[in-house]
Amino acid sequence: MAEASLCVQGIRKHFGGVSVLEDVSFAAPAGGLSGMIGPNGAGKSTLFAIVTGFQAGDGGSVLFKGQDVTALPTVQRVRLGMARTFQVPREFGSLTVRENLMAAAPGQAGEKLRNVFFRPGWIRAEEAAIAAAAEEWLAFLNLERVADAPASSLSGGQRKLLELGRALMVRPAMILLDEPFAGVNPVLVGEISERIRELSAKGIGFLIVEHNLAALSRLVDRLFVLDRGRLLAEGAPAEVLADAAVREAYMGGSA
Amino acid sequence: MGFSLFANLAFNGLITGLVVSLLALSITLVFGIARFPNAAAGDVATVGAFAGLLGPLAGGGTLWIILCGMAAGALLSVAFYFLLFRPLAGKSAVSSLIASIGMAFFVRAALTFFLGHDQRVYPLPIVRAMPVGPLRVQPTDIEIVVAAVLALAAVFSILHLTPIGKRMRAVADNAELARVSGIRANRVLVAMWLIAGLLAGLSGTLLGVKTVVSPEMGWDLLMPAFAATILGTIGNPVGAVLGGVLIGLAQELSTPFVGFTYKLGVGFLVLLVTLLIRPQGLFAKNSLVR
Amino acid sequence: MLSYLLAVAVVALIYSLMTLALNLQFGFTGLINFGVVGFFAIGAYTSALLSQAGLPLELTLPCAALAAGLAAWPVALLSLRLRIEYFAIVMLGYAETIRLVISQEEWLTGGVRGLPGIASLSVGLGIPGDPTLVAFALALACVVGAVLVSRRLVHSPFGRMIQAIRDDEDAVRALGKSPGRFKVAVFVVSCLFVGLSGGLYAHYITYLAPDQFGALLTFYIWVAMILGGAGSVGGALVGSAILLGFIEGSRFLHDLLPGVSAVEMSSVRLGVIGLSMMLLMRFRPQGLLGGKAGCG
Ligand SMILES: Nc1ncnc2c1ncn2[C@@H]1O[C@H](COP(=O)(O)OP(=O)(O)OP(=O)(O)O)[C@@H](O)[C@H]1O
Ligand SMILES: [Mg+2]
Repeated sequence: MAEASLCVQGIRKHFGGVSVLEDVSFAAPAGGLSGMIGPNGAGKSTLFAIVTGFQAGDGGSVLFKGQDVTALPTVQRVRLGMARTFQVPREFGSLTVRENLMAAAPGQAGEKLRNVFFRPGWIRAEEAAIAAAAEEWLAFLNLERVADAPASSLSGGQRKLLELGRALMVRPAMILLDEPFAGVNPVLVGEISERIRELSAKGIGFLIVEHNLAALSRLVDRLFVLDRGRLLAEGAPAEVLADAAVREAYMGGSA
Repeated sequence: MGFSLFANLAFNGLITGLVVSLLALSITLVFGIARFPNAAAGDVATVGAFAGLLGPLAGGGTLWIILCGMAAGALLSVAFYFLLFRPLAGKSAVSSLIASIGMAFFVRAALTFFLGHDQRVYPLPIVRAMPVGPLRVQPTDIEIVVAAVLALAAVFSILHLTPIGKRMRAVADNAELARVSGIRANRVLVAMWLIAGLLAGLSGTLLGVKTVVSPEMGWDLLMPAFAATILGTIGNPVGAVLGGVLIGLAQELSTPFVGFTYKLGVGFLVLLVTLLIRPQGLFAKNSLVR
Repeated sequence: MLSYLLAVAVVALIYSLMTLALNLQFGFTGLINFGVVGFFAIGAYTSALLSQAGLPLELTLPCAALAAGLAAWPVALLSLRLRIEYFAIVMLGYAETIRLVISQEEWLTGGVRGLPGIASLSVGLGIPGDPTLVAFALALACVVGAVLVSRRLVHSPFGRMIQAIRDDEDAVRALGKSPGRFKVAVFVVSCLFVGLSGGLYAHYITYLAPDQFGALLTFYIWVAMILGGAGSVGGALVGSAILLGFIEGSRFLHDLLPGVSAVEMSSVRLGVIGLSMMLLMRFRPQGLLGGKAGCG
């Protein structure tokens, strides 16, 4: 296994009296494709929130690229190369699709008012470069046709793609996807999977939470199972899915 | 000399504080259940105070003044729930907040259009203050304390002992869960706005009994009441009452140091300091919200 | 008649500076400023007092803008720490407290008696001609400047990011950008407009008193912004024009209706503003022209 890029150790979290995560530890390899499954309410999104710094855990630590990021705020984790999407897409609804992607470009000089008013030439050049990068990802994700539509007009599947595009603009080392296939038609599921595989080949790591087992197990090379806040199993998809305990928890639990 | 001055200020502070508490409780109930800071609460109190002027027509004494004021407050509150806040329920808290400021202006405009800007007083007999130890106590002061304490006791009994009160607290705890478990939110909301209106109306009349009735009285009471609400942790009824008393004491006891005008600013100062040091308020543990 | 219209237009322009500012704050960034009138008062009194101390208007007007910007800075930092509803209430109290200070500190501000005899724009700047016309030209120049600044800002990468913040702050964080820096910058820069507006107002009316700075003025500006459509620069101008049309129209109406006193007319204005706030929220949060943002 390649060197671990994301390493989660002993994460705990409770809301009020309810324990949602109990001592969760796992490691996702750099550049690999990892998946995570688990019944509704297992704590997957909460785990994502803690890994990305949107919520604080009650215990445990998060290591990213060998660095302890447990105490870092979200923005600094992102700058280290950790990008994410949300289970319910959170596009910038009043901006166009293209603007959504351009907004995501890191380190823009044009985001400083000083430059906006006194260095217009510099900003124009920078904007051209950002637009070109956005154009590439729009083409890659097949969003060119809707590039100038307001993001709020997109379909559910397109929003998932938009969020992926925005995450890619950040130039991340690893992307955490929360249910990228939910509410997406089967044709588009195949397309998104294909894109993810291509990106993985370019060295970007993925951790994907998904309920669509068929699509996920075809995509990833490592699968984690979370059930009621505990890590139940991990391993190659075929092995994990054959595991009796997993079948019990997952199939029994959600059906 | 110094002691009796401060004792009297503290006593006055307690009374002002109870008036603020009633309005703060009204605001905190609305916030806990309808989830927005209701800036119209102050002007509902003003309407209550003006309606109290009708009291003597119904019968003599403070009691009728209070009853008229509470009835008017309740009526206004429930009417605006149906006309304004219910249709806005699905939108952001900011929409309801802006609408509630609009309502405050509208209500005050209607009052001043028809009744002018003059200050009025209730036709209560003027009685000399009785000395109680170092305190000089007006009989109306006693009435105010009794009325406020009875009202607070009634509201807490409703919240904790009656089925509708328990449902209110359940909705405040978790609106989604309450909906799923089949609580009819509409009835809870009507009851909540009714109580909020009664409390605001009472707060207005008591302030009128203590001082004078004027169109701006409610708006001026709003900032101390918001301060009390936040000090006591927004959404927490007990906190609102204690916060109100603290604000009242702070305002009165600071008068010798900052003067009469800045006394009004004390509420804001307390609000600001609370938010900076303890944004969740003093009583976050028992809050209805979050 | 023409000079009357011109006088109204000056006030409309002065107000639209504030509407443009509020539009940047709320319409584009989602920041709730219920204390607009406080910054307006700071600008007005700063410029008036400095000019009475002998400074030329060429200096006092920029100082008015700076003073308001300076006062906005700690408030902006506060907005990062507070929940949005709390911040709204704090802003209401902030503006009321500023008015309290103005009415209390008589030695400086003249207290409730007011501050008379402030140099007019034409005299203060030494521009000959009809004072109203001079004021109009100056206010117009300021508004044009503010529109240009607003447009440049909104159509820049900075402007893209503040709109992203308005749409979804957490998603902005997920891109590795802190919303705080942007919010503070917008808040302070737009309060410069408000301060300037206050300065112009002081030297146009030439008399200041605390009761000119009540909370109602803040909500005049809110109504103007929502009418024109939050999140649209042109809409801010249209909204201010409609609003002033109403306020001045009500004065006009008062001349025509002898039965209604000036005091009653002020109640009518308050009532109509209150009513329009309720009706707009209820039926047309996106404004008459339909801005990008709205308040729904
Ligand atoms: N802010 C919160 N306050 C209280 N409880 C919460 C909160 N967030 C999540 N929970 C609870 O924590 C549990 C785990 O939620 P989470 O969203 O992490 O599950 P999940 O595995 O992502 O589920 P799904 O597959 O439905 O997305 C659920 O029972 C949920 O109700
Ligand atoms: Mg989830």
